[in-house]
Amino acid sequence: MRFLLLNHVQNAYQSLRSNRLRSYLTMLGVTIGVASITTILALSAGASKVVSDQVDALGGNIAVIRPGASTTDPLSGLTQPKTQRDFAASTLTETDLTAVSRIAHVTQAAPLMILGGSVRADSTAPDNTPIVASTPELATISNLKVESGQFLDTRVSPDTVVIGTQLSIDVFGTEQSIGKTLTVRGKSFTVIGVLKRMNDPINYNQVDFDSALIMSLESGKLLNQGIAQIQQINIRSDSITNLDQIIIDINKQLIANHAGEHDFSVLSGEQISRPTNQLFYAIAGVTAAVAAISLLVGGIGIMNIMLVSVAERTREIGIRKALGATNSDIASQFIIESLAIGIGGGIGGYIIGYLLAFGISTFLTFDPVINWQIAVVALGVSTITGTFFGLYPAFRAARKDPIDSLREYN
Amino acid sequence: MAKIKTPPVIELHNLKKRFGIGDAEHFALDGMDLTIKKGEFIAIMGPSGCGKTTLLNILGLLDHSTDGEYKLDGQEVSTLGPRRQARIRSQQIGFIFQSFNLISRLSVIENVALPLTYKGVSHTKRLELASDMLRTFHLGEREYYMPYQLSGGQTQRVAIARALVNEPSIILADEPTGNLDSRSSHIIMEELSDLHKRGNTIIMVTHNPRLTSYASRVITMLDGRVDTDTMVLPQLTTTPAKRPLGTTTKKKAKRKKPAKAKKVTS
Ligand SMILES: Nc1ncnc2c1ncn2[C@@H]1O[C@H](COP(=O)(O)OP(=O)(O)O)[C@@H](O)[C@H]1O
Ligand SMILES: [Mg+2]
Repeated sequence: MRFLLLNHVQNAYQSLRSNRLRSYLTMLGVTIGVASITTILALSAGASKVVSDQVDALGGNIAVIRPGASTTDPLSGLTQPKTQRDFAASTLTETDLTAVSRIAHVTQAAPLMILGGSVRADSTAPDNTPIVASTPELATISNLKVESGQFLDTRVSPDTVVIGTQLSIDVFGTEQSIGKTLTVRGKSFTVIGVLKRMNDPINYNQVDFDSALIMSLESGKLLNQGIAQIQQINIRSDSITNLDQIIIDINKQLIANHAGEHDFSVLSGEQISRPTNQLFYAIAGVTAAVAAISLLVGGIGIMNIMLVSVAERTREIGIRKALGATNSDIASQFIIESLAIGIGGGIGGYIIGYLLAFGISTFLTFDPVINWQIAVVALGVSTITGTFFGLYPAFRAARKDPIDSLREYN
Repeated sequence: MAKIKTPPVIELHNLKKRFGIGDAEHFALDGMDLTIKKGEFIAIMGPSGCGKTTLLNILGLLDHSTDGEYKLDGQEVSTLGPRRQARIRSQQIGFIFQSFNLISRLSVIENVALPLTYKGVSHTKRLELASDMLRTFHLGEREYYMPYQLSGGQTQRVAIARALVNEPSIILADEPTGNLDSRSSHIIMEELSDLHKRGNTIIMVTHNPRLTSYASRVITMLDGRVDTDTMVLPQLTTTPAKRPLGTTTKKKAKRKKPAKAKKVTS
């Protein structure tokens, strides 16, 4: 049996080589599909790694609370766009924030209230400028450093803001903007600090602080009809060993606060790093669709070529049967050939996928990740495609009547 | 016939093979009765379309009869599963075809080694055995030739080497010399004759009456039945026997018909 398998492999190699161009063209569909998958996975792993590195750099003792129940299925997080629920009002309130900060071993808790609206001074900031309302703890939890001036603290006037370097350049045309005033939603604020440039638009706060404006939670509430709309609460524990206990306590406390409803999720470690950027979702969604379509088309191509191959070798099938081949011998010969096309396309796709990912990453702030999981997915997808679409042709080959096959002309 | 003690390798009783249904119904074999003993060299003759190929296909388990009995080594073949039948084809039966039927994209040695694949022999051992077999057919230097680089006679010798590489006890040859000139034909017949002397059972279909002289028994068929069945004396095998010696075992032989048929087909 082992020798037979080896023989099938040699056979497949010979037969694919003798139709080289045809084999390569057939592999192309699988190659494109696997390349797309590899690119998305390598880049999304890269994005996740950026965030998890940040969490690690902060000591790893960070947890975040987000509104809405979390999905446990990682693929849906990758392939599904944001649902309507994600745009609904946040379920986290100031009461929750106070309750959470009182839990044992929680050293700091910083809310993140993200508002939209225009930011204007000498010139107007871009439309999507994030306006973040938070507490002074945000600086330590998220490791925000000021370049000049100071961060918010409990004593400063509520009419003051801290802005990112890029935002400073956007609205004032300079990085030196301490003491200058700007208007947010028609209300004027004084700049008391400019943040150090961070250059990581992808982080677990989902805010690019380089172009953000940070104000106190009180001011944020005033701009939002007196209501705190908290999108995220960042928690820091006194040590990493207490983090698990804290998460359990938070869950208990918040469920009690929310009348038994589990309409929030507490994330730590890896979970935080799952990229949630909407643009990323859109790109990943499109790429996943491209991958699925090209795999389907590639698979149909394999099936088509294998049917041609079976027809071309009808006489050979008859001869082999006359020489003692069983139906399953014939079937496995053809399955292995289609499998070889699939895997060949897969390996090509894996390599091209990484070339693409590295190419794209020159425009991004992070590098793609090479890990065995992605290799397994690429190989798995190509193996499944090769086998699945080779089944029917192989079945046709195995079922051929030896007499009719021998009568066939070459 | 009762005098011969060797047990029958093949026993056919009232074997029928029908093709088509309804108006197109046609019996290619219409009640074959035949007993073949171990070590016989049988030449089957008969007009085109009388069912010779159909008979060989059924004997070789490539096809199945519609009705009647076929016992191979005392075992009724219709009771055997497809996997078992493939095993028998692999280990007990060697096929030689008129059109050689080498696989054109495989080299000579790979073609000869092919039957060993389905017997589970390792790659190196396969090539070794195939090489030995080719050498006995004086094709040692042609091992890595492709089939299209060989002459007709050489191709058929490769095909015979392939049929023999699994050491089958029964050789089925359907007009093995049909595509060859008379010189090559005699070389092939010498090879078959050799095999016969070594104890193989050979069943060969031929249109050439001269070649029946190599056989130990000549059967003529007509309309899917045995017409005449003649034993040939072994010492006369070297000279072409125009006139069959021995006893005719079948009755109701219309003397003129087979002769006429031979003229039509040769
Ligand atoms: N697959 C088939 N379908 C229909 N008829 C067939 C088939 N194979 C053989 N026959 C018919 O059976 C008869 C015997 O054919 P065959 O055994 O090939 O004759 P031959 O003695 O020339 O080898 C012929 O009349 C042929 O037309
Ligand atoms: Mg015939």
